Order: sequence, then C-alpha cells, then structure tokens
Amino acid sequence: MEEAEAEEQQRFSHRQRLKAAVHYTVGCLCQEVALDKQVQFSKQTIAAISEVTFRQCENFAKDLEMFARHSGDCFCPLRRHAKRSTVTTEDVKLLARRSNSLLKYITEKNEEIAQLNLERKAKKKRKPEDENRDFMELDADVVGSDS
Amino acid sequence: MAGRYSPDPDQTPRTLLRRVLDTADSRTPRRRQSVRNNAQRSLLQIPSSSKRQSSQTKIVARRHSYITRSVVRLARVQTHGHLEEQTPRTLLKNILLTAPESSIVMPDSVVKPVQVPEMVESSKWESSPGSLELQLPELEYPSTLAPGLPATGRSKQRLRLSVFEQEVNQRLPLSQEPPGNADASSLTSSFNLSFVPPCQSQSVGRPGLARRRPIRRPVDVGVLLQDLEDNSLTTALPGDNYRTPVATLPTDAVLEDTQPFSQPSVGCSLRVYHSLPSPSHSEVKGAERVVGRRTQSTGTGLEKHMSRTSLGTTPLPFSKLQPQPPEIREAVGSQEAVEAKEQEGSSRDEDTPGRPASPELAADTYNLLQAEQPHQSLQPPPPPGVAVSEPLESVPARLPSRTQTVGPRHHQDPYKAGLSHYMKLFSFYTKMPVEKKALEMVEKCLDKYFQHLCNDLEAFSAHAGRKTVKLEDMELLLRRQGLVTDQVSLHVLVERYLPLEYRQLLIPCAFSGNSVFPAQ
Repeated sequence: MEEAEAEEQQRFSHRQRLKAAVHYTVGCLCQEVALDKQVQFSKQTIAAISEVTFRQCENFAKDLEMFARHSGDCFCPLRRHAKRSTVTTEDVKLLARRSNSLLKYITEKNEEIAQLNLERKAKKKRKPEDENRDFMELDADVVGSDS
Repeated sequence: MAGRYSPDPDQTPRTLLRRVLDTADSRTPRRRQSVRNNAQRSLLQIPSSSKRQSSQTKIVARRHSYITRSVVRLARVQTHGHLEEQTPRTLLKNILLTAPESSIVMPDSVVKPVQVPEMVESSKWESSPGSLELQLPELEYPSTLAPGLPATGRSKQRLRLSVFEQEVNQRLPLSQEPPGNADASSLTSSFNLSFVPPCQSQSVGRPGLARRRPIRRPVDVGVLLQDLEDNSLTTALPGDNYRTPVATLPTDAVLEDTQPFSQPSVGCSLRVYHSLPSPSHSEVKGAERVVGRRTQSTGTGLEKHMSRTSLGTTPLPFSKLQPQPPEIREAVGSQEAVEAKEQEGSSRDEDTPGRPASPELAADTYNLLQAEQPHQSLQPPPPPGVAVSEPLESVPARLPSRTQTVGPRHHQDPYKAGLSHYMKLFSFYTKMPVEKKALEMVEKCLDKYFQHLCNDLEAFSAHAGRKTVKLEDMELLLRRQGLVTDQVSLHVLVERYLPLEYRQLLIPCAFSGNSVFPAQ
C-alpha cells in the first residue's frame, strides 16, 4: 500500500515535471510567434495550449502503442508481420496522416534520416574494409556470444 | 373491471393473458382447420370437440380457467391480427364486460346480428345429436359458474359467437365449431332475450394506452434485389432505399437462424451465401472483421459509406454482385447499407493500392457476415463522428422497433440517398424544425466524417500490411474514437447496441456453443 502510494506520488510528480517542461516550451514558442507576428499571448492562452498539448501527447502515445500492436495483428495466413513491440516511423506516419502538411514534413524527415543512414552505411563500407571486417567480426562474435 | 375478476392475487391480467396467448397460438391452426373442413368432417370433429369441451367444463369451475378459455377464444380470433392493437388489460376487460366483443374484435357490431341467422342455419345444418349434446354443457357451463358472474358467462358465449362470426365471415358458413354451434343455438335464444350490446369502446377511448407490437412485415427481397439491380446499373448504389432500420428484414429472418452460413431462401442472396461456404481463412476472418466493423458502423456510417461509394463507383463486375449483398445487408438495416457501401467502396478502391480499410462503424450496427463478399474488401462506412453520436446511439434503440417496410423505390441521387436517412433521423432527434440549409450542412459534415473514417480504416489495414479491412482495424478505429476503452470492450458494445441476433454472430464465445477447450 505504501509502495503504491509512493509510486503514485512519484508518478504524479513526474507528470507535473513533464507538464512544466511542456509549459515552458510552449511559452518559448509563443514568444517567438509573438515577436514574429507582433501579437501578444496571454498567460491563460499559453497554459491552455500547454495543457492541450500534454493531453494530446498522451493520446498520441496510446495511439502509437496501438498502432505498433496492430501492425501484423492480422489473421491472414501469410503471417508476414509479427506484432511489433517497437514504435516505428510507420506508426508515426499513420498518426500524422490527418494533417497533410505534418505528414509531408514527417515523411521528408523520415527520408532524410533514411538517407543519412544509408550514407553512414556506405561510408562505413567505403572505409578500409579490413578494419570494418575485423570490427564486424568482433561485433558478430560479441553479438553471437550475447545471444 | 379487471380487478373485479382477478383470478389470482399474484397474477395480473397481463400475465394471465400473456399465458393464454402463448398457449392459444398453438391451438389456432387446429381450429382453423376445423373451420375449413366440410360438413362431413365437422361431424367427425364434433366428438373431438365435445371431448374438448367436456374436459373444459371440468375446469370451468375454476375462475381463471374460465377466463383462460374465454380469452383463448378471444385470442384465437385476435391472433389473426387484432391482438396487437390492444393491451392485455383491455382484452380482459372486454372479456369480462357484457359488451359484445364486436366493439373490439369486430369493428362493426352490425355484423353480429346478421351473423346470428347464419349461425342458426349452420347450427341447424349440423343437426346432429352431437350438437345438441354440446348445447347442454354449454348451457350448463354458464350456470355452473360462480354465481356472481352471470354476465361473464354471457360474455364468454358472446365471445365465441363473435369468434365464430369471424370465422363464418371469412370462410364457408360451416358450423365446424360445435362450441360455436352450441353458442349459436344457445345464443340465438339468448340474443332474442337479452341481446343489448352496450357499446363499450373503452379500448378505443384511450388510444394512448394502446401498445402496439411492432408490425414486422417481411421485406420483399425479390423486389429489393430487382430494384437494386436496376438502380445499380444506372447509379452507384441506391443505398438509402434499402437502408431500412435494423428491425426486421429478410436477412434478419435468415440470420435468426443463428447459423452463420445458412442458405437463405432468397435467390439472390444465395450468391452471397455461397461465397460464405467457400471458406477461405481470410474470408471467415474477414467476415468476423466485417462483423466487427459493423458493430461500429452506425446508420450514419452506412449512409456516408453509401454516398461515398456511390461517388466513386466504377462499373466493375463487382457492382452486380455488390448490390445484391449490399441489398441483403441493407435489408438487415443500416448495417446492410454499410455493407453495400463497403462493397461499392471496395470495388472503387480496388484501383487504389491499398484495399479499403474497413471503416469502423459505431457500435450500433453490425453488418452481417453473410452479406460480406469474401473477395471484396469490405469497406464499412466509418462510424459517424462524435457529433452524431447522440442520434446514432439512439438509433440502435429505435432501429429494432422500426417496421420493416419497403417504401416506394423512387430513384434518388445515390450520393444523397445514403445520407437522407440520417437527415431524417437528425431532424427527428432535434425535436424542432430544422432549416434546410442546416440539414445540408449536417449532411456535408456527415459525408466528410464518413470519408475520414473510411480513409482511416484503409490506412489501418495498410499499416498492418493487409489489403482487406479486418476486425482489428475496426476495433482500432473504435478505440481511437473512444468508444472502445479499457473498460468497454468491443463485445460490450455489440451487446449493448446491436440486436441480440448479432451477438451470436459476432461474439465468439456466443457462437462457440459452450464448447470448452481443452475438453474437460
């Protein structure tokens, strides 16, 4: 009982800290916009925005988890996918599909990151392959021993 | 009045009448048959009926059995159609009153006197000793009654007279009913003496209390299908016409068979059902999925879907098949419409890379599995949004009570056809007149909403790497809408909002047949 209460309190304080962080960030963003557009933001506005953002983030988290679990959750005999326990960019894209601009932005970012990854892989390959091979073998051994 | 003659303290007139009605039904066919028989057979039946009567006289002494009997007579007559218009209380009242039942059973009391001579003739016609014998117990019957209820005996006899009159009216003037004959013979004299029918139209005087059972007429599926074919060729999908409320529909009758793959009598539906018995794994699952989707589909969802699909109709070969299954589905109610839309949408979306996601339907209507085409990715219309959740939630409550009538099938714009149903619902639930422009705006919003839902379903199924919308997609959509939560599961919504027949189809535990695995 006490543990549960302590945990509860800890969670609550954690939550408050998160909310505070969101509030601060929203305040900063609003300041930038105010400077840009020459409009004023009242405190209530910022508080409202931060509260809404926080709740929406909660929704997003739940949705992302649902999407991850949903992916591969099919009865089709193909069984191509397995239920994932990791949230991927696909899930995020599914989440953002409503707003076109956001979806486009995310897709672009995703492609950028993918490109970066490819480039890194290419760089790694271009590096002295011997070193890489040695490293890879070492890594493989390590991985093999771990698993 | 009913209190004057309450048989048992714990029995209300309602329960008594209910019991009587339940038992009376089983005897009506026999009675009918007896009426239809010739005079020759009437003689044969006289002994049987006399036996019946003699057995009945034994229980006559009991007050409630008397009521039962008279009620049975009344019920027999009224089961033919008038019963639904009266409450048990009024029925019993009428039995007890000295008033002739013609005020209730037969609208025109004038018929009775006319029928009397007929009955007299018929009784004479059957001048067999049996009838005479029957008369005696009949006459004795009222006398042996509780002394304080002479009127009831007379009313009982009059009941039979009215019953017999009805029979006579409808069929040959055969005095097949020895009790009727006895009644006639005995009543003629009594009529001469005391035939003064006070018109006590108490049941008519209080129409507000009349509780009607929903009059469920079976939809003429043949006409439905024919119309649908005609319409589908010209327009996308005349969904609205078929979007009759869930209540009773031909497929309902089939579904009540509680066999997922039962072959319906409807010819066209055979095609739909044939697809079912050709089970591919996905089909079965798809059906489940569809069902799941249906759960969430509300009427509005159907509407939207319909309009949407109608918009994007492509003259695919599916269109031929789709109208039929959608027809059938729609016959089931809004759910049907959803399916039809789904199929239309699916045909339309086949061009698109991803199969249409199953729009999640509000937990109001479940589309029937039967209507689902195995190979056509169903695209159940997405459930209506929260804005319409109110009318939608009341829709399932109302749907079962709606009569299933196939109205005149005027050719409407399929785009509008789907949503007009929801517009009517909307205008009903606002309880005040709605401006036409407002209705149009609501329609637009509904349309957008359903499109969104359909898109969502499509996205979900694509996300899962599938090309068909499945139950999981539907459930995900419902979950996103907040209809399915950790506290409220999909099955709860099914049980809460859909007619009970769908529960057996949609909830696996319900149709598992109490089979426990592993076998204990």
